[in-house]
Amino acid sequence: MPYKKLRIEITNRVGYILLDAGSRFNKLSITTIRELKRAFAQLEGDESAYAVVLSGYPGESFAAGADIGQMVNFSPGDAFHFAEFGQSLFDQIESCSKPVICALNGITMGGGCDLAMSCDIRIATEGLRIGHSGAKLGIITGFCGTHKLPHIVGKNFAREIFMTSEPYSSADALRMGLVDRVYADDVFWPEVVQLAERIASHPLNALSAAKRLINAAEDTDLRSGCLLERETATHINSLHISLH
Amino acid sequence: MPERVGYIHTTLNGVAVLTLSGKRTASSRDLLEHLHRQIATLARTEEVKGILLTGSGDGFCHCSPESALSPQTASKLSGFGQKTMFDLEKIGKPTIAVIEGECAGLGLEVALACDFIVASASARFGFPGIATGRIPFCGGSQRLVRLVGKSKTKELIYSGDLIDAEEAYRIALINRLYPVGEALTNAEKLLEHICTRSANAIRIGGEVVNAGYDIDLQTACMLERDAFALCFSSFDQREGMQAFLDKRAPEFKGE
Repeated sequence: MPYKKLRIEITNRVGYILLDAGSRFNKLSITTIRELKRAFAQLEGDESAYAVVLSGYPGESFAAGADIGQMVNFSPGDAFHFAEFGQSLFDQIESCSKPVICALNGITMGGGCDLAMSCDIRIATEGLRIGHSGAKLGIITGFCGTHKLPHIVGKNFAREIFMTSEPYSSADALRMGLVDRVYADDVFWPEVVQLAERIASHPLNALSAAKRLINAAEDTDLRSGCLLERETATHINSLHISLH
Repeated sequence: MPERVGYIHTTLNGVAVLTLSGKRTASSRDLLEHLHRQIATLARTEEVKGILLTGSGDGFCHCSPESALSPQTASKLSGFGQKTMFDLEKIGKPTIAVIEGECAGLGLEVALACDFIVASASARFGFPGIATGRIPFCGGSQRLVRLVGKSKTKELIYSGDLIDAEEAYRIALINRLYPVGEALTNAEKLLEHICTRSANAIRIGGEVVNAGYDIDLQTACMLERDAFALCFSSFDQREGMQAFLDKRAPEFKGE
């Protein structure tokens, strides 16, 4: 079945999921979330992709939040199921065995910000506008943002972002740690491609193991995390040596 | 500025300014008792939509350390201090600590229990108590770790040194840095802006952030999912989304 809200390309071991809703702004509608789930499943199973880049490039937005027209008449029950559905996508991205790089090409609000936070690395253009407009809409996010944002930028910045519901610049986002790198518009995409291809050139089993360990570190006490690391490293590193 | 430990002044837009100046001779117990009462008042006063906690002149929450306490008294004081900070954290309205000058010891404990801290270039932060054998006792050691990390917290508590506003900004102890003398005016504008948002969404969001922070991702996301669904039984959700679709400013009721 063809995709309506995104495109998939695979070049030089990197799988690109490019959001393209065909309108000015990409929205995290139910259809887009469904297609993203399908796209990640497709690249997970595609042996020619060793890393994934998620972006709205070359459009104006990465994702400008949920579809308010769709949500305005939600019952609490509808909202519950919508949150569960969105969260299942983010869980799928976090458990994806391949590194996922998020290339934030422009406006990234609400659910778009949560989508970005489920990826492993965030790279942004200088023109980034990122934030959470829930308090302006009378809601909170239901897409894991209340847990992830405070752990990425700290509780105090997270509360400020939620409370003001304003978009923040790339410089603010970099200072808060919400994005890892910022590039000028003209070099943004070449830099994204270069980083993705470099990451994709490394052995995938080591990348997957590192991703699993780092994600596990957040929810695990230090001793158990170290035990897990020892077991994983013993397995991965001995495998690696035997290859050479 | 009055010489009382606490003084509340409310602006027309619902922002309450709580001035915790205090004399250096006031004891930390006195200051905590005043603060405890004022938090209760601010929580139940409907006209108050958001709260700025600030000092006057050269510092925030100045008080003199207690003279030697018995372990029983020290434990009681710590319990009361921690309860007061939890009350502040759970007040249900946005709170910003606004710092000009020194914010040390109990002052930093209070600032850390606010939603976030802004300061002017004259601000200095730290826990100087170690020089006289004291450590934070109102939750400050725990809140500071969660904000700036373990090693920075140890550096501050072990050395007892105060860091300046620039460094506080760099390590993200403070969210915003303003020119000397301009912190309060700017913070007032910021909080008035925040108060135009849905008070209901801000309250629920703040509670979910606090409740979810120390638990695992999956459990926290379940909690968030339920709180998200709850928003869809509110007036503010209908109004906020309708206003967005109509391209007009929402008129929230906070319910």
